[in-house]
Parts: sequence; C-alpha cells; structure tokens
Amino acid sequence: MSVGFIGAGQLAFALARGFTAAGVLAAHKITASSPDTDLPTVSGLRKMGVNFTVSNKDTVKSSDVLFLAVKPPIIPFILEEVGPDIEARHIVVSCAAGVTISSIEKKLSTFCPTPKVIRCMTNTPVIVREGATVYATGTHADVEDGKLLEQLMASVGFCTEVEEDLIDAVTGLSGSGPAYAFTALDALADGGVKMGLPRRLAVRLGAQALLGAAKMLLESEQHPSQLKDNVCSPGGATIHALHFLESGGFRSLLINAVEASCIRTRELQHLADQEKISPAAIKKTLLDKVKLESPSLSVASASKVSLFTNKSKKN
Amino acid sequence: GAWPRVAMEASELWVGFVGAGRMAGGLVRGLLQAGKVPASNILASAPSDKNLDAWRGLGCRTTHCNLEVVHRSTLVFLATKPHILPGVLEEIRPAVGSHHIVVSLVAGITIQTLQRLLPPWTKVLRIMPNLPCVVQAGAMVFSRGSNAGDEEAALLKSLLSSCGLCEEVPESYIDIHTGLSGSGVAYVYLFAEALAEGAVKMGMPGALANRIAAQTLLGAAKMLLETGEHPAKLRGDVCTPGGTTIYALHQLEKGALRATVMDAVEAATNRACDMAKD
Repeated sequence: MSVGFIGAGQLAFALARGFTAAGVLAAHKITASSPDTDLPTVSGLRKMGVNFTVSNKDTVKSSDVLFLAVKPPIIPFILEEVGPDIEARHIVVSCAAGVTISSIEKKLSTFCPTPKVIRCMTNTPVIVREGATVYATGTHADVEDGKLLEQLMASVGFCTEVEEDLIDAVTGLSGSGPAYAFTALDALADGGVKMGLPRRLAVRLGAQALLGAAKMLLESEQHPSQLKDNVCSPGGATIHALHFLESGGFRSLLINAVEASCIRTRELQHLADQEKISPAAIKKTLLDKVKLESPSLSVASASKVSLFTNKSKKN
Repeated sequence: GAWPRVAMEASELWVGFVGAGRMAGGLVRGLLQAGKVPASNILASAPSDKNLDAWRGLGCRTTHCNLEVVHRSTLVFLATKPHILPGVLEEIRPAVGSHHIVVSLVAGITIQTLQRLLPPWTKVLRIMPNLPCVVQAGAMVFSRGSNAGDEEAALLKSLLSSCGLCEEVPESYIDIHTGLSGSGVAYVYLFAEALAEGAVKMGMPGALANRIAAQTLLGAAKMLLETGEHPAKLRGDVCTPGGTTIYALHQLEKGALRATVMDAVEAATNRACDMAKD
C-alpha cells in the first residue's frame, strides 16, 4: 500500500513520522507534495526518505490512500486541481477541520462518480505515536476502506470510528487538546520554578506527571475523580492545591475551552459553506502557485472566493 | 463479649439528659422512635419547663434537678449550652461514679476539659450529632475519653444507630464533622431553597418546587448511600451527551460551586476549632 500527502506541513510530517516509526509503512512508499519547498517540514520529510514532489498530481497517481493535509480553506482548490486524477480505487482522507464529507464528495463527483471519501480528525501527538484520531466514512467508502484507515491511524495512537456530526466536538477536545496541555505544562513549570526548581527539570517533571496520570486513567477502570481522591490524603498538600484550582474555576475553564473550539470549528465550516472566506485568509504564495498550475480555476471577485462552486470547464 | 451486670441491656438502661434543648430533643426522639429505650426510663433536667413540656409529652420523666438525673441514670447525656457546662459539671461532680457513662453533646468542649472537670474514674465520651437525628437520618461521630472502653463505645453506637449514621472517630475529626455535617445540613437547606427558586423562576409554584427539591436531594443521597458508587460516577450517569444536565453543570462549575462549598466546610470547621479554644 502506498500513501500520499497533499501538503507537506506539520500534519503530513507528523503522520509520516508516525507511520514510519510504527513500521506500518516504509518511507519510500510515502509521497508528499507541496508547492512551497521552503517549509521546514519539507526537509524533515526528505530526511525520512519520503518522496517529495512539487506536483500534487504525482502524489495522487502514486498513492492508494491520499491524505489531504492542507489547511481547510485550501481544500477546494486542491480538489479542483487533483479531481481529474482521482479514481475509484483511491481512498481520499481529509484531515481538514470543519470540512464536511458531503462538500468533498460534491466537489469530486464532477470528476469521479463514486469517490471514496473518509473524514478524519487527528492530532499532533501522532508524531510520537500517541495520537487521538476519529474518522467518519463517506457514501462510497466501504467498511474495508474504513478499517484500512483505522489500521494506519491505530499505528500512531488511538483510533475509532464515529458519526460525522461528532467530529467538531472531537476537534474541541482532542484536536485542540494538546494545546491546552502545553499551556498547563508551561504554567506548572512556572509553579515549579517559582518554588525553586530549575526550568528544565520543572518542565520534565510536569510533563511526566501528566503523562503518568493519563496513562493511569487509560489503564484503570476507575473514574478520574476516584483516582484524584486516591491522591488526596486528608488535610494534605494535594487537597489544598485542588481547592485553589476549584476556586479559580479550573473545571469550567476547560469546559469553556472545549466548547469554544468546537463552536469555532462549526463557525468556520459554516463560513466556508457560505463561501465567505477571503483570499487574504489563504496564503498568497500558495494561491498564486495553485492558480499557475490550474488555469481552469478562477477567482470570483477580488474580495470573495467561491469555494465550492465548480468553475472549471469539463473537457 | 459478655456485658457487665450493671444495666447494659438497652431496655434496662436508665438514661438521663442534663439539658433538654434542640439537640437533646433530637436524640431522644430518635431513641424513642427506634424503641431502644422506654420513655419511662428517660429522665431529663432543664432550668425551666419551656422545653420539658415536650419531653413529658413523649412520656419521659422530667426534673429541674441535675443531680437527680445523675443519681437515677447510668447513661448521662450532657446537652447544655457550652458556657453553662462548667458550672453544671461542678454541680454534678460529687454524684458521678465509676458506673456512669457520661456522653457530652456540648459543642466545643473537648474530652480533655470534660475529664478535667469530672472525677478521674469517669467514663467520658464526646459526640457530635446533627439535627436530622430527629427523623432518624442523622450523622453522628463520637470519640472516647481515657476510661471509656469498647463496651461503652459499642453501647453508644448501638443506641444511636437508631438515629442515623453513628461512627467512632479520633477527636480531631469532630470539628470537621461540624463543618461537614453539623452545619452541613444548613448548606443543603440553602441549596434546596435555591433549586426551588430556580424552578419558580421558570414557572413552577413554590410549594410544589420545594417538595420536589427536597425529594431530589433525598433521592440522590439515597442512591449515593445504597449504590456506594463515587458521586462523580453517579453524576456522569445522569449526563447524556449534549443534554440538559451537562449544560446545567457547566453553569455550576462556572460559579465555582465546588470551591465555595469547600470554603464553607473549612470556615465552619475553623470556627468550631476557634470556639473550642475560647
């Protein structure tokens, strides 16, 4: 099996690194493409032994499983560009937050009557094979196609199938989740430093504490609150600390964060559906390069780009 | 083990109360409800008839003489106000013998103080009940003094389990119990009031809202006690994804309810400690 990545940024790099480290895929069976060769991840991919090209079409041709690893506003341009090369055999996996299966199927159906589309939401720790991934299968993707993706993604962490309408919530929780953790770790380290620890040690210990706690929870049948209780000796240090967390509304802040991320994801999707994203939201160099390679693409107006209207003439 | 010959059988037990106020009244009602001790075996003393009328109404005997209570009882509950107690102890001291079991309900008076003011052979225990003892759903903790042994502890526990939960603890937990459960009952009343008020705001009549609020608390508490599950697990069981409960809980978390409740327990406990020192 060969895997391709349209886009050679953080996500492609993280997945490629994860797959090769897990041994499910040899690097030379992976192709990644991007018009921008200056990305730091590009050299990283090359060093891994991944085939890098500036041609998205080449990636499509040499892949069975095709990951769309570009930012959500770029997706429609990519679909326009590579649509003609998509065949029934391809499994197109979109990792773009807020981009629906139906929008992708609609776009591709002008080129291929039954495109296999799977929508996936993963997160950056796939890079260390501790990712959290969910996927939802599209109209023409079979059970085996889903299972194939699941096998791939399970090699880099936890992976399970969900109904598509839950994916925005997953984005809010585990998609953005690592950022919440990094923020918490930074602050915990500050706490350690305040109380006299050297920074490096504080970071190391903080990270290990969260890693250990997460591992305990995953391997335990117990409720997290029970595990918390087990750490809190009566009148001890921990319960004093927890009281501070509660006073600050720690729990509600986390609930707020997950909610905000989920709602924003839906907003962005809604904006995309309404075709209101401005070209400024898309990196200019990328847009120019995409236009160069796909002269059939047109921009509706200077201030507005129609994302999901098919403007190319079918030959 | 075998009981000592001196009236340890509950039905043969002569029980006395020095002080006949609210807390004592709660305990005696619990005792009587459970049928552990006949009312005629109970003698209570108080300075005025104000409280004693109710005791006579229950079938208990009454007196204005504290010494009489001590003379005629084996198990003596001290239930006066804290500032009254030292004077009362001085008064009854001559009549206290090694057969007596003295149980103090008096808030803030330590076992050390009790033992200092009573004869050195006295079997002393200290108990902190809470108001729902009246309806046999109390929460009580007790500690023993130096001369109180397993039999005294077992007797007290067996008598008072009829009033609710009754556990022996180290004396240092008693102030915490005050903060958690003694005063805690008031926190629950506050919460019940607020629940009902929310319902009234949303259009439900107050009386109905009050009854439903109370039943909700009762039911939730019953499930906690009977399932033995962690409250967080029971909470999770009620929260359907994206449903009403999780939306409401989010509001409670935003209000830092947990921390506020912890603050309350802490404040009451600290106050109990401070008052004991006075």
